[in-house]
Amino acid sequence: MAEGLDVTALGAWVREFARLIADHQDELTRLDAAIGDADHGTNMHRGMSAVVAALDGTPPADPAALLKQVGMTLISKVGGASGPLYGTLFLRMAGAAGTGEMDAATYARALRAGLDGVVARGKAEPGDKTMVDALGPACDALDAGVAADESLAEALRRSAAAARQGRDTTVPMLARKGRASYLGERSIGHQDPGATSTALLLDAAVTALAGGDEG
Amino acid sequence: MAQVGLVVVSHSRALAEAAVALAREMAGPEVPIEVAAGLDDGALGTDAVAISAAVTAADGAADGGAGVVVLMDLGSAVLSAETALELLDDEVRERVLLCPAALVEGLVGAAVTAAGGATREQVAAEALAGLAAKQAHLSGPDPLTAPAPAGGGQVTGSFTVGEPHGLHARPAARLVQLAGSLGASLELRNATTGTDWAPATSLSRVATLGAEHGHEVQVRASGPGAAEALRALLTAAGRGWGVETGDAPPQAARPLSQPPVAAGRPVPASPGIGIGPAWSLRPSVLRLPTTPSGDARSEQARLDEAREVCRAEIGRTRSATAAAIGTGEAAVFDAHLLLLDDDDLLTDAAARIQDGAPAAAAWAAAVDRVQAALAALPDPYLKERAADVRAVGDQVLARLLGRDGPTPDLAAASGVVLAPDLTPAQAASMDPDRIVGVVLAGGSPTAHSAILARARGIPAVVGAGPAVLTVDDGTIVALDGETGELVLDPGPDVLATFRARAVELAAAGRRAQERAGSPARTRDGVAVLVGANIGSVADARLAAECGADLAGLVRTEFLFLGRAAAPDVEEQETVYRELAHALGGRRLTLRTLDVGGDKPLPYLPVPGEANPFLGLRGLRLSLAHPGLLADQLLAIVRVAAETPVSLMFPMVSTVAELVQARALLDGAVTRAGRGRPAGLQLGIMVEVPAAALKTAAFAPLVDFLSIGTNDLTQYALAADRGNGSLGGLGDPYDPGVLRLVAAVCAGAGRALVAVCGELAADERAAVLLVGLGVRELSVTPRAVPGVKQAVRGLDLGRSAVTAGRALDADGPDEVRRLLDDRF
Repeated sequence: MAEGLDVTALGAWVREFARLIADHQDELTRLDAAIGDADHGTNMHRGMSAVVAALDGTPPADPAALLKQVGMTLISKVGGASGPLYGTLFLRMAGAAGTGEMDAATYARALRAGLDGVVARGKAEPGDKTMVDALGPACDALDAGVAADESLAEALRRSAAAARQGRDTTVPMLARKGRASYLGERSIGHQDPGATSTALLLDAAVTALAGGDEG
Repeated sequence: MAQVGLVVVSHSRALAEAAVALAREMAGPEVPIEVAAGLDDGALGTDAVAISAAVTAADGAADGGAGVVVLMDLGSAVLSAETALELLDDEVRERVLLCPAALVEGLVGAAVTAAGGATREQVAAEALAGLAAKQAHLSGPDPLTAPAPAGGGQVTGSFTVGEPHGLHARPAARLVQLAGSLGASLELRNATTGTDWAPATSLSRVATLGAEHGHEVQVRASGPGAAEALRALLTAAGRGWGVETGDAPPQAARPLSQPPVAAGRPVPASPGIGIGPAWSLRPSVLRLPTTPSGDARSEQARLDEAREVCRAEIGRTRSATAAAIGTGEAAVFDAHLLLLDDDDLLTDAAARIQDGAPAAAAWAAAVDRVQAALAALPDPYLKERAADVRAVGDQVLARLLGRDGPTPDLAAASGVVLAPDLTPAQAASMDPDRIVGVVLAGGSPTAHSAILARARGIPAVVGAGPAVLTVDDGTIVALDGETGELVLDPGPDVLATFRARAVELAAAGRRAQERAGSPARTRDGVAVLVGANIGSVADARLAAECGADLAGLVRTEFLFLGRAAAPDVEEQETVYRELAHALGGRRLTLRTLDVGGDKPLPYLPVPGEANPFLGLRGLRLSLAHPGLLADQLLAIVRVAAETPVSLMFPMVSTVAELVQARALLDGAVTRAGRGRPAGLQLGIMVEVPAAALKTAAFAPLVDFLSIGTNDLTQYALAADRGNGSLGGLGDPYDPGVLRLVAAVCAGAGRALVAVCGELAADERAAVLLVGLGVRELSVTPRAVPGVKQAVRGLDLGRSAVTAGRALDADGPDEVRRLLDDRF
């Protein structure tokens, strides 16, 4: 894989994620209303708007700086549980990213580090009906793509598809974490909003980094 | 002393700030508490960056690396707090502890503990204990250990309700108790009527099953030990829950052999926790006559006469309770009045009298029968009526047997004393070493009995209702004289809660004691002197031990009472010097002789007076015997040359009296021949309403004014505190009394205003007194540390607002409600 991800590409990814969040804000809130406290769309939109404003205000110098800035903004501005969770995802990615361009392998390692951070922060395991159910399969698919020496675009498409599939598997799950867990069996039959926004994050990567929309 | 800092993390800034205000009320201003709550734009949410900044600030404010304890509300607050840890310097992070306690109770517990200089682990442990206390108090299952019924290991079974009255009252209570004691999650549904599942640990939910005799009740158990739990529950069902049923003898259905019940809604009267066996003050053994003293008609007349006397007694108690506590609480006495005319009782008693029984025996038998019949009923309301019948029955019986109410003394009492009410004499005879608590069926928190209980440090609740009079001696009783909580026959959980509270109170007392020696300042830095009222050299030593800033009132009567001749100047001098020595040089406020015609001294004759309390007493009497006062002033002036002394004249009504007394003082200074001592200050006691209103005229002549709230209240409301039939009329919380205090503060100019009456020792009243402008509180020595702590919790600005509202209240009840609303 010759292509590398520089700060501009990563910035495009984050902006695309912000756009998708804005477009899907109502859907995310509606999903959260069914099993949570109806603020996921609003919170993520507030957080990502602040991220974009920060990028515009202080353009970061390198990938690590960009990812850190995104993470810090999210933990400060989202307000709900997705703040520290998405914030930790980006902060851990920043720790795994360097100052130079990221190749597919580095990107895959960084996203894996982000996943580990989310799991450590939220204490969620696969099957708990959380964003981990989308992010985990996405990391696995990305690793597989890297191992198979696929192009970055290929690997990202595969990863986004896995995230969407993971998102869909949350529908029949019983929520065991967060506000949704208070509902017990009544959480079954609803798609998890966190897994839904995570699928958007991986979709955004395809659009911004792979040069094509597989949405 | 190392002090831990606290950080409050919440989605809501308003919530966090209110929680901090609540904690500060308890813990004072010293503990560093930082808030990280809400988002910049005011939205609900948590911000990890703000949390890390708050932690850093709290860590900086905490003493000597004591570190920080973080308390959070829910959800993202926890995640954000954990995220914030990652943002901290390694060195700071090591000193931070995230505490999983519930926010409000956790913060209060943490702040109070931190104020005492505990480590962060101790602070966090105390914060967690807040929830345990609440759980135990509510006697519910532990929500943390009661797993949801969903999940594996579910077993089911069923039983048929065998109880004639269905699964109500005691069988239901036993079921709930048993279910609570079995680790598994147990649920019930009424299969006969097809109800939803209800948790077996909830009495109210079990009641909603409407399980009547013959209904089938399904049980499902899950979680650890589910099968054993199910078996235990079904076994207990088969055995009728170990409860005698409706046709059991009345003994088994006595109200207080029930599972733990809270008795009535008592009123707090003397703070502290009391736990001990019940000791009932009731007419000891009533010896019933077996032969009538007259014919049936005269026996019936005796009974009717006794009922009439009791009617008057109950009427008085009723109005006293209504005035002091409230008409709702007084309603029970209406029921008692009705019982005096109860057809069932009267017909039965009359028939027995016709059959040749003496009035007392006939009445006792009728009361026993009616009471037993009521007590046997499963309905708790009717059971309570049984207690009323017993109470009224005993009262009439005491009359018939020639007793003037319950008057046995309390010399032999121990444990928790239960009584209808106490006379001042009875209350005064209580031995605090043996009596750990007092529960009164009637009474008022402002009555003598309550004041005496407070003075003796015996926890007390009053207005607990007549049911407490039927408690068997030896039954364990737990009471909280601060909250009014009263539990008869408490279970181990409740007992543990009370013990924990007692330990907590003791710890708070120790903390207050530790700080007793330091001056008390409000949170905004206004100094308030806290002095001691003393009447002996021993009191003076105690006052010094308790941290009193001064002796705010020395009752010099102790030198003058019980002797044939007045003490001479030298004797007085010696004693005043001993007092000063015992106080370690603290200021001595000597009040000149304050007696009156109610307790005349042999060497100080007072002409017979129709009303000695409005007669020749206090300074009036001293001015009528200027030689005696001149000697006392000389002794005081001599001692004042060596040690700081304040001189105070009692019961001043007019400026002319004060001018006359000052002239005598000038004479004493001349006699002493060393000039006016530099440290000698002069003041008056303000006990007469007219004097309070003329403060501005007195102020230029004095250094201080000391309000005697006991007499001021009596005179302002024209209500003798010792007169039981006036109930709580003489209440120092009456806005009229508070307005007189306000008038003194307003007119005092640069003279210091002190309060040395009972009200000063009431920690709740501190906000009013300090808010109105009082700057010295003089109290019984043991109350000094607590009153200092109360002052430390005040904010002068807010106190002034509360006090201002109290002046406009329509009565003392509203004033108390205002104070309650502050918390």
